[in-house]
Amino acid sequence: MTTLTAPPPVRDRQRRARPVVLILPAAILTAILMVIPIVATIVRVVASGGTGLTELFSLPNVGRVFLNTAGWTAGSVVGAIVIGYAGALVLQSARLRFAGLWRGLLMIPWIIPGVVGATVWRWTLSTDYGILNQALLDLGLIGEPVRWLSNPDVVLWAVALIQIWVTAPFVMLMVSAALTSIPAERFEAARLDGAGGLAILRHIILPAIRTTTGICVLTLAIWALNSFTIIWVATSGGPAGASTILPVLLYQAFQNGDQVLVSSVALVQVIIGGVLAVLFARTMRTDLEEQT
Amino acid sequence: MRRSLGRASAGAGLWGTLAVLLVWSLAPIAVMIFTSFKKRADIFAVPVRLLPESWTLDNYRTVFTSSSMPHALLNSVIIGLLVAIATLVFCFSAGYALARFRFRAARPLALFILLGQVVPLTVLLLPVYQIVVSLKLSDTTIGVAFAHLAITVPLVTWMVRNQIAAIPYDLEEAAQIDGGSRFDAVSYITLPVCAPGLAAAGMFAFLQSWHEFLFASVLATSTASRTAPVALTQFASEFDVDWGATMAASVVLTVPIVILFVVMQRYFVAGLTGGAVKG
Repeated sequence: MTTLTAPPPVRDRQRRARPVVLILPAAILTAILMVIPIVATIVRVVASGGTGLTELFSLPNVGRVFLNTAGWTAGSVVGAIVIGYAGALVLQSARLRFAGLWRGLLMIPWIIPGVVGATVWRWTLSTDYGILNQALLDLGLIGEPVRWLSNPDVVLWAVALIQIWVTAPFVMLMVSAALTSIPAERFEAARLDGAGGLAILRHIILPAIRTTTGICVLTLAIWALNSFTIIWVATSGGPAGASTILPVLLYQAFQNGDQVLVSSVALVQVIIGGVLAVLFARTMRTDLEEQT
Repeated sequence: MRRSLGRASAGAGLWGTLAVLLVWSLAPIAVMIFTSFKKRADIFAVPVRLLPESWTLDNYRTVFTSSSMPHALLNSVIIGLLVAIATLVFCFSAGYALARFRFRAARPLALFILLGQVVPLTVLLLPVYQIVVSLKLSDTTIGVAFAHLAITVPLVTWMVRNQIAAIPYDLEEAAQIDGGSRFDAVSYITLPVCAPGLAAAGMFAFLQSWHEFLFASVLATSTASRTAPVALTQFASEFDVDWGATMAASVVLTVPIVILFVVMQRYFVAGLTGGAVKG
């Protein structure tokens, strides 16, 4: 499109040189902040002769950390998808008035800083002074206060709850946008054929927004796998490592000055991230091709 | 009859679901706001009540007069502005090149920058820390801002690229036919037309920096460069947590964000081309 227009001859040379020059600052910056760190990580692990990896896999709680990471990721993704879809479907309904207002209010957990969200939840989930336990006690749903953040069996799901609270609005936004692209005639036709709400959801809505679902699941998984702030602020990975996931383990190693362990955990994260990146690139490639 | 009954129950289900979602999303926010106005005795009262027994501004007074929060907020604003400006400079040039030129390296470079989004930040922690230290920028606002570019540049390049691609090239062409250079065309046509979008992208970068905790927590070791999120955790990490002041500080950190969000929405609504080319 652009190169077809006849340029003034004098500027021709400059023009051809320009695109790479324009893109170079951002590319160099990305290289310094991304590529060099990743290469440095790999080099450090290799240079240590694998002692870092041995150290990592001989940690007494390493199995627990991997299980925690998997459980936390799966829980956060499923929860955010369910709540985000519910929100998007409610907002999409023609019968709903003031949809813009409700959308704005439901977005709030997404726009406040993660540190604030985690801090506020830490207080909300407090065993003795938290409003959640009080509400559940008043409703008669629990007999005694739940130790959300200090019971090792509960804590991982409690912090996943915070992650869901923060990320569900993102799913809501993405799904809302995708829902508007479904032609209204399809709903009318289905309704004329006597389809109920669930049938419409299963046979019309879900297939139509399959790509969006894919992008959402992938993005949520990447966020959960790399999430650090929420767990760190809420529990610091405790009690006794019950909510420690890979990024938290890395941060603890960083604080202890154990550079080899930091690099080993980072390498494991890079490998997991690499697999997701391939999937991400594949999903985005269709997006790229549609746009260029 | 049956049909209207079904409709009524569907309506009730709709509003019921909305109510549940609203409580879920806003209850912690309400806890934050009301706790920030509670007196100390009130905060640790059992049974727990949402609303304060008697309202007080003491917690806010603590935050603004006897904590490091005011300085931290200033640091956060400075770092956020540095990040926003640097991000826009880097990303406008890269985004323009990606949107307007077709060249062999375009696809790989675009993918390269795009993939920056999926690199786990903790992976970068140690190397970026060492880079910042070796540049003698540790515990400075510039050092923290530099690290934050790792987050904003990949995301914003993409946003800006899409905004520029949405502006018809005919506009720039028209300016060049009238005798202007390409640089003139960009500075008098493209920049003004996508200004609202760039403002939104800049605010997005500012927000990312405002939220960031991981890098700031290791790079900012003293009040000289400590950002607001890090200062907030220091309220809560002592043995005797002052929950009233913590909640007041949380409100202070959240209010600018909500204001920015409202402003940003208006920019988004204004649209990217603003009807510059019709038909």
